[in-house]
Amino acid sequence: MLVIRAATVVAFGLVLGAAAARAAETKPADAKPAAAGEAKPSKAKKTAKDKVAKDGLPAARLDAARAALVGDDDAAAIAAASSLGASGAANAAEPLAELLAVGTSPSRAEAVLDALAKLGAAGVLTAPRALDVVDLYCGHRAPEVRQRAIKALGTIKDPRVVPTLVARLGDVAPGVRAAAGEALAARKERAGTPRLFALVKRGDAGAASPLAALATPDLIPQIAELAGTVDDAVLATALGDYAQRSDVPDRQRLDVVRTIAKLSGAGATTALVEYVASVPAKEDRPSKREAQKLLDQRESAQ
Amino acid sequence: MNAKAMRARPSVLLLVAAAALSACATSPYKRAGNAGEVAAALARSQPAAPSPRSLVFLVLGGSAGQRVAAYDLATSRLVWTQPGEVTTRIEVGGDIIVHGAPAQPASGGLIVARDIGNGAVLWQHALLEKERLAGYDVDAHAVYVVIQTQGLTKRGTTGSVLALDPRTKAVLWRHELPTGHVAGPAVRGGLIAVPVDSQYVILLDRATGAELAQVLSTAEAATFVRALPEGMFYGSRGVFLLSAATARGSRESPGYLLAKLPPFVRPFYWYDLYRPEQTRYSAIDRNHILWRVSVEGERARFRDETVVIHDYRFLFGFDAASGALRWAYSHPSDAVASTDTGSVIAFVSTDGDIGALDRVTGARRYQARLSGEVVNAATFDADGFSPTLAGSESGAGAAPDLVATLGAIVADPDRRFPDMKLFAIEEIGRQPGREATGKLLEILGERGMTPLAAQKTSEALAARKDTQSADLLAAALRRHADYADDRTAPPVDFLARAVAALGAGGRSVTPELVAQLRLPETPTPAAAQIARALIATGGEEGIPALRDYLTMYRADPVHDADPSALIAVAEALIKLGGPADRRLLLFVAEEPHTVAPLRAHLVKALGETDPGAVTRTATRD
Repeated sequence: MLVIRAATVVAFGLVLGAAAARAAETKPADAKPAAAGEAKPSKAKKTAKDKVAKDGLPAARLDAARAALVGDDDAAAIAAASSLGASGAANAAEPLAELLAVGTSPSRAEAVLDALAKLGAAGVLTAPRALDVVDLYCGHRAPEVRQRAIKALGTIKDPRVVPTLVARLGDVAPGVRAAAGEALAARKERAGTPRLFALVKRGDAGAASPLAALATPDLIPQIAELAGTVDDAVLATALGDYAQRSDVPDRQRLDVVRTIAKLSGAGATTALVEYVASVPAKEDRPSKREAQKLLDQRESAQ
Repeated sequence: MNAKAMRARPSVLLLVAAAALSACATSPYKRAGNAGEVAAALARSQPAAPSPRSLVFLVLGGSAGQRVAAYDLATSRLVWTQPGEVTTRIEVGGDIIVHGAPAQPASGGLIVARDIGNGAVLWQHALLEKERLAGYDVDAHAVYVVIQTQGLTKRGTTGSVLALDPRTKAVLWRHELPTGHVAGPAVRGGLIAVPVDSQYVILLDRATGAELAQVLSTAEAATFVRALPEGMFYGSRGVFLLSAATARGSRESPGYLLAKLPPFVRPFYWYDLYRPEQTRYSAIDRNHILWRVSVEGERARFRDETVVIHDYRFLFGFDAASGALRWAYSHPSDAVASTDTGSVIAFVSTDGDIGALDRVTGARRYQARLSGEVVNAATFDADGFSPTLAGSESGAGAAPDLVATLGAIVADPDRRFPDMKLFAIEEIGRQPGREATGKLLEILGERGMTPLAAQKTSEALAARKDTQSADLLAAALRRHADYADDRTAPPVDFLARAVAALGAGGRSVTPELVAQLRLPETPTPAAAQIARALIATGGEEGIPALRDYLTMYRADPVHDADPSALIAVAEALIKLGGPADRRLLLFVAEEPHTVAPLRAHLVKALGETDPGAVTRTATRD
């Protein structure tokens, strides 16, 4: 039976380079509770989910999922991957990583990586289970696969993922670059900031928000100086998102808002609108008033 | 053959024979190929003493208008400048220069003679309307003009040589040539040579115009005659030293010269003097072979076994016998004219650079500049010019760095020379040492290379098998594409091919090959080449990457149409891997999602290398 053969290969550690060999090591004890901030399920459902997260999926279900993942039916394989991803169970990563390790079609790989990203978002994807194999797929030739692998990798709470994320900022595919930037921003990982700045300097729209999330105050004037050399919309996004950060002093926000107002196009208007909208209605801050005033001026000028 | 034809046959043969006899009786070339007469003519010839002058006559353009100028190479100064338009090429002799000038519509051409000392016009000679200027040459005694006179029919056209007094243009004599199919002359030591009817060269006495001898070129057309201090020459595809031995010229003659040159060189030894357009300055003056000859009796060889190619902005010194490149020189702008003085290659560029390179080494021997001028053309009168470079102990600058010069030619944005660039790549490949390997790698890294140039560079790199420079290949492979840094990928397939050519000597490059195999931007053909390189070098350290590649893409339908990379990777695992890898390959061969061509290949390959393996594994599972 094929699934047994594949599993046997993995178990014997025969197949794979370092990536697959490590993927074969399953450690249910690594399972962690779901991350905070997810949509709140009902109490009964939450209890059941917590139990799954703690105990893991039963062996029979994992075997069934394995069979579906390597079976002939693409739809069934993709559904199985999705189901494993939604389970929130730490050991759900096991058959997913195994499939990546022995190789599969790009469409199944995409589904599997989406599922792993979901497990990662739930906080149950750990380095020993998936880091090497997901890292390997960050170098897949298909950009769609790489992009998903980057997303999954970004969820693994291990510093070893950072070099790959930083490297993929130089990817030829915009989607992959953007995914890498978002992953670094989500991790508040500043190692990629110089490269994100380089991307914005090249007018890469996908790098604007991640750069805004990671930029230190001293970088903002350098970003502002790019005006006239890169697309105004890209700059407006970077500066607008930066202004929305809660850790930015309002005095600097004021400068940023005025810089945005000097940019042309709908992108700048949108950035100002979004900034004003991001400030709670009851909160009165000078930068908000200034942004509103500048918006009014833009409207009257049209 | 029928009876009627049989009867007719003898009469036809008789007619042909009679016609042939008749032709012999009336042929103007009865003397053609007479070695005794040629020897006698040459014996009468007394070569003039070499001129002490080192001048170059310049045809200037630009905002100051059309002018003629004389520049003294010895003193590096402009001697004179005169307004005037030049049509046909300047020839120099005695104390005058002669050139063509725009003629009236009713004239077949206009010849202008100028004083060599100040450029003043001495006289002008207008041809008649029915006359056409075939060419001219000058010595201290006369200006010799070959004229074609149009008849009512093509057969009625006649040719003649006119000798004019150099100071007064008085007609000294006129000689009617036997045909109207005539070309420009050359004069040396009292002997005038005139090519006629493509295959013949008529030798005339300078003093009287009397015909002295006829040369017959049996092997190739005689489209040029050229007078040099070392002898009179004729030829077309090659060069014949005029002598009794070449009175009937054949390529087996000891006086025949033909240099071995690479394909990009236009084998142009001298102007085709039958072609009126080649009497004018043209692209030919910028693209030709420069040669001088060492003469020993009737035997000739290229001087110093060297010929030099002038190809617009570039000069190349070649070993004439082997075709090996000795030196190369690249100038920033086109050289409009050049000459081999016997010691140096002197040239003038469009923007007024005047230079001279040692003809054997290519080292700089002279440089001067005519600032602010546009030079359209030039004629040298500088035979024997042998300058020494001021401020240099040896009298010459350093010989140009061959690899660097060739590299600059390849990288030059001028797109006029694709064949020369390919030649330069091949030549770099032939040069020993790390510098050449490094230059080829640098060329491969250039953006905008033509596919053919990249292919040639790759081949040259692989053919070197330069194991001493494996580290350079590794360094080139360490580079990778990066959008953020605006960096493009190196030509991994070509580099991997070069590593493979090193065999075991390339094993140190395995880490870089492996890193490239893992990169998403490495093209599929390059991945195949990397696998082959790992096999060739024995790079077992690459096995994990090979496994990962195989498993990651084995089920990717992209490889259905072209499984070459997967097959190459599988082959590498078969050759480099151990029993575990063999079991992996068996798994890949049996797993139904593996692309069909790879499965088929693996079943065959594994069966061939260990026929029982598939069966044993299937049984065990």
